[in-house]
Amino acid sequence: MSTLEELRAVADARRQTCTQIKKMIVTRLDLMIDPEWITDDQPLFGRGLELDSLDVLELYVAIEAEFGVALYDSEMSVFGSVGRLAEHVNPALVEQPA
Amino acid sequence: MSTSPFAPAYPEGTACADIAGVQVPVRFSDPTAEYQAVRERAALFDLTGASVIEIGGPGATDFAQRVLARDVEYLTSETTMSSLVLADDGSVVDQVVVWGREDGMYLESSIGRGAELLAHLQERAADADAVTVTDRTDEFGLFALEGPYAWGVVGRVIDAELAAMPFESIVDTRWDGVDIVFARAGLTGEYGYKVLAPRESALDLWVKAAQEATPAGLEVLELAMLEVRQPVLRHETADSAGASVLEMGANWLVDVSKDEFVGRDQVLAAFEAGSTVRTIGFSGTGPVPEPGTEVTVDGEAVGEVVYATRRIGADDTLGLARVRPELAAAGLRLTVADAEVSTLTSPYVTPRSWSTPII
Repeated sequence: MSTLEELRAVADARRQTCTQIKKMIVTRLDLMIDPEWITDDQPLFGRGLELDSLDVLELYVAIEAEFGVALYDSEMSVFGSVGRLAEHVNPALVEQPA
Repeated sequence: MSTSPFAPAYPEGTACADIAGVQVPVRFSDPTAEYQAVRERAALFDLTGASVIEIGGPGATDFAQRVLARDVEYLTSETTMSSLVLADDGSVVDQVVVWGREDGMYLESSIGRGAELLAHLQERAADADAVTVTDRTDEFGLFALEGPYAWGVVGRVIDAELAAMPFESIVDTRWDGVDIVFARAGLTGEYGYKVLAPRESALDLWVKAAQEATPAGLEVLELAMLEVRQPVLRHETADSAGASVLEMGANWLVDVSKDEFVGRDQVLAAFEAGSTVRTIGFSGTGPVPEPGTEVTVDGEAVGEVVYATRRIGADDTLGLARVRPELAAAGLRLTVADAEVSTLTSPYVTPRSWSTPII
């Protein structure tokens, strides 16, 4: 069992990636909200941020530029939430549970 | 106690529960089959536990803009949307589905929260101009079809064109000679459709739908909602203090770019002030913890369980906890009662509909 400090460190690493994604979404798509208003659990399509297919294309480009990860062939499930997207662009988050 | 218009068609042995004065079916037969229907084929849900409240009169749109936390400026009689309704202190009264109508709109409450919603709206309407708030629940029968192949059911029993309607659109149409309002909207992440029919004709339509889709109870509906982090209001606002938008993580149901609505300033002030607690999903193999059960790390309290349930078809529990904000992240092992749980990334189940095209 990890200590509180160890858990905080793992959560913080995840938060950093999620925050980077939120800022990227708000900037690239010109959303009129504070990036931190978006929650980690928030769906990006349909309900949630209500992005559309053009937004997807923009995000593909943005994610490749910012994280060096190509998502073109991925399932839509990577956009199921900010947290899910974070795990795709930073697989280390999944490999190191605490 | 009110009963569902679909009750005469329930199979023998259907288990019902009293949810805020309404007999709601929680289980029709085999929960595993019901769950498989919504995640693999098509399920039929009785939404009788939801209230249908009409906002009418020349001032309906202005009133809705004030009481709804999302913007209804572009709502038409052919669109629907979800929104929170907030109290003056920013706490959550209910999550509603707004059905745009020619003269005003219908607000569909979440299951079991209709009385609170109606009282709140009536209180606000007392100070408003040219607006009427009318509970029309007893005039309608409301059911949903959800699942990766729900579109096929809609095509077979109603009209194939309806199956491919855009997400969150509404159409007034006829089914077997009955005037219905048909919406493409859902709660489980799967393809979802709703039928709002006059109460006296609704039973026949339910029977038709049940020939092609598996009736599934509230137990399965609420589990499927939790799996995609769709708020289940009657559980998430159950604590006496009332949950805040930020604690629930329901920010997506609030449009802070809208200039004015009830509760807006309070929600923004809380956002500026920073976190107190945040909600995170978890799973574990221990017994299902009661709401309020302490969440700990190394014996130190870090939060509490909001609610949890046994997963159907899997030997584990799934639940939500409100924890210190610095620990509201997936991939952590926490302790609930004496059992270890793991925090999760939403959605906890990937809906098959996301990779299933409508053909």
